[in-house]
Amino acid sequence: MESNPTPADASAVVLVGGKSSRMGRPKALLPFDGEPLIVRVLRALKKMFAETVVVAAPDQDLPILPTMLARDEVAYQGPVSGIYHGLKAATKDVCFVTSCDAPFLNLQLIAHLVAQISDHDVVVPYWQERFQPLHAVYRTSVLPLLKDQLERGELRPIFLYDKVRTRKIPQEEIRRIDPEGLSFLNMNSPAEYEAALQLWNKRNSISVSVELFGVARLLTKTQLVSLDLAQGATLAEVFSALAEKLPALAGRVINSEGLINGYTCNINGLNFVRSPNAKVSSGDKIFILSADAGG
Amino acid sequence: MYGFYGRLLHLDLTTGESVWREIEEVRLRAFLGGIGLGSSLLYEYAATGVDPFSLANPLIFASAPLVGTGLTTTAKYAVVTKSPLTGFIADSLSSSYFALELKRIGVDALIITGRAATMTYVFINNHHVEIRSADHLRGKSPLDTESMIRAELQSPSVRVAAIGKAGETLVRFATISNEGRHAGRGGVGAVMGAKNLKAIALSGNCPTEVADANGIEKIAGVLRERSLSSLTDKYREMGTVANLAVFNRLGTLPTRNFQQSTFDNAEALTGESLTENNFSRKHGCAACTIRCERLFKALDGAEQRMEYETLFALGPLCGIRDPGAVLQAAQLCDLYGLDSISTGGTLAWAMECGEKGFLPEAQKLGLRFGEPEGVFAAIAAIAERRGIGALLAEGSRRAAVEVGGDSMYWAMHVKGLELPGYEPRSLKTMALGLAVSPRGACHNRSGAYEADFSGEVDRFSTDSKRGSLVAESENFAATLDSLIVCKFLRKCFSDFYQEAAEVLSKVTGWDYTGAELKRAGERIHTAKKLFNVREGWQPEDDWLPQRLLGETLPTGVGAGVGLSPDELRQMIQSYYRARGWDDHGYIPESRLAELNLPQVAMHRKCAVIRQ
Repeated sequence: MESNPTPADASAVVLVGGKSSRMGRPKALLPFDGEPLIVRVLRALKKMFAETVVVAAPDQDLPILPTMLARDEVAYQGPVSGIYHGLKAATKDVCFVTSCDAPFLNLQLIAHLVAQISDHDVVVPYWQERFQPLHAVYRTSVLPLLKDQLERGELRPIFLYDKVRTRKIPQEEIRRIDPEGLSFLNMNSPAEYEAALQLWNKRNSISVSVELFGVARLLTKTQLVSLDLAQGATLAEVFSALAEKLPALAGRVINSEGLINGYTCNINGLNFVRSPNAKVSSGDKIFILSADAGG
Repeated sequence: MYGFYGRLLHLDLTTGESVWREIEEVRLRAFLGGIGLGSSLLYEYAATGVDPFSLANPLIFASAPLVGTGLTTTAKYAVVTKSPLTGFIADSLSSSYFALELKRIGVDALIITGRAATMTYVFINNHHVEIRSADHLRGKSPLDTESMIRAELQSPSVRVAAIGKAGETLVRFATISNEGRHAGRGGVGAVMGAKNLKAIALSGNCPTEVADANGIEKIAGVLRERSLSSLTDKYREMGTVANLAVFNRLGTLPTRNFQQSTFDNAEALTGESLTENNFSRKHGCAACTIRCERLFKALDGAEQRMEYETLFALGPLCGIRDPGAVLQAAQLCDLYGLDSISTGGTLAWAMECGEKGFLPEAQKLGLRFGEPEGVFAAIAAIAERRGIGALLAEGSRRAAVEVGGDSMYWAMHVKGLELPGYEPRSLKTMALGLAVSPRGACHNRSGAYEADFSGEVDRFSTDSKRGSLVAESENFAATLDSLIVCKFLRKCFSDFYQEAAEVLSKVTGWDYTGAELKRAGERIHTAKKLFNVREGWQPEDDWLPQRLLGETLPTGVGAGVGLSPDELRQMIQSYYRARGWDDHGYIPESRLAELNLPQVAMHRKCAVIRQ
């Protein structure tokens, strides 16, 4: 028996040619974590797939991208057109198809979907009682059927599924890899974009707690503060986030260089650290206290 | 002579005779004042093997060159004698107006020997010495004694240091107290009691002359400014009670007689909570800009001083969590003139004895962890040497010897002095500092905990660096204690020895250098050790209580951490090496010579100036 296909033998197709009408600007170019969304999605997929194909609208402007580029023949015909032109351009028999507005792609789930294709023509997740055709795997063998659909004006991909060997991936199976189904989260409006950004920040930040002692506690009437910081944050970031949250500390305990003379910091009850360059880790308990233990 | 008078007053209470003697400049330059001068005089004035309670044991009050100069935090004096608690040197400090007055009577030291026939007090007005009856002051608290004497002498300028009931009954950890402050550790109050001396009242108008008044004024301004900077925030804004919450969180708060190093539900006892709920007012010593003292409202509405050591010893160490109860227990210690650390340490020992069935009388008195009533009853019993109080008045070491069995295992002392509030197992440099200190378990004659709290070392483990860290810390403390400068100013110097030598030079007119001052610190510390060796110190005296070496910490961030006898032994060896002592901790002659100890008149009698 042939071994299951892997992304290394497959193509990834990314559809960017949608209208983005509700978003009001091209979704592919939305900034996400400091870069256009399409760049981010491509980079993730290129790590595992043999090739990537971006399918754009006929006259759509795109930055130069390290990928094959295909174009819809007619603009804004919907996903079936995109899937069709992507599959047509791909050189591999198996293609994972996604839209470009999915910032939370889960590579493990994608590899799992690709591996399920062996005796099937389509592998499509079924999440919250809906097929997810733009996070699915297709064989190029379905190209003739898609062409027929386009000609008939059947613009919804799910019409395909009854006609071919389709493996529907149930919710429980997805949950094992992507418990919250974030793979299927896409963004159609500015509000959804904002929410996705927040979610991303939350999932990619570390959380530390700061316990205040002595004068710091008296000044702020606060004993415990929780701070969310970027991965790789240092004490300098802890101090500045703390001063922002508790302004009474600014100038008294914390200044622009870190802790003011007379104060020190202990991490997890173990190490005394004053250097603002010291890295902190998620879950760290940081104590701000007097540098003088005499009494 | 600037900064000093070059003389001492020796008062023999048996004969009532007063003699002024010369202190040679060479001795002052070598030992400075305070603890240093006091130690050198103790070596000379105490006969080898003297009984601390005997007539011959000198009770020495030593002033210092910086006292009276107006420099912040320098209104301090030292009391030095042979300790009835340890049998070694007792060197205690106290401060404020009595310290200034001691300087104003025109001597660098006051030595008291002998014993008055009845309870007396001494009034020294410049060169006039008067011995007066104190029969009416028997049993009075130090504060009451002070105000009664000031009233009867009808002089607002008179300052008084006194003992309470505990000093009169020779409780071995009785204090000498002035203005609510105490020369607290080592039982100096009992030595005073043994001389039938209830109080010393001083009034003088001798000026402190300095060599470079303008220079001193300038330095005074700089130090004042630094003393008001963020470096002293803790002391100025909250006082030392700030330690409790931090120590609890760091697993260094001795609890229930060192069975644990964290205290559950300590919240109400933290400095933060006390400040919020019980604060009454701030107070400071004379000539101090830091003003670290905090007075809190006790249950009866009265104001009570509280600092970390008292709070720890009468609180977590005894399992007491109610701040009202701790304040009340502290009131009682002040009332009777008791060292609150040794009181708490001895009571915690007795509580554990009761718990383990060794001391039924302790249980009967209500001495149980967490129960304030037993603490109140026991403090009074100790001061009056009543019932089990007579045993507890001897301190934990002697009491444990008396009770026998395993009770020595949980007697938490070094050389007989009960441990302060720093858990040695989670502060390993401090563990060494406590083990080797000539005074016994003391956090003031060595600030070795600073290395542990600074990140300079791993506080949970040991290594051979600790010896030199402890030695340096002791030398530093000896220098501060002899100039005298309060330790709460210590972080305000950028190059301590250099800057302090400059101050000393401007006061005395000497050309003192930083290196010479550093050497003086080492010499002073060595002189204390030398006294102990003469009084029978043995290598096994530099050691820690068995509990600390036999049990790991059960709670907190230090859970599972212990201290093995081998680790302690190795640290002690590293300390002896750093000091240039032999493997057994004795001081080689060559080392004494290097420090000029034989040459600096420690063994030479001071010449009589006038009688």
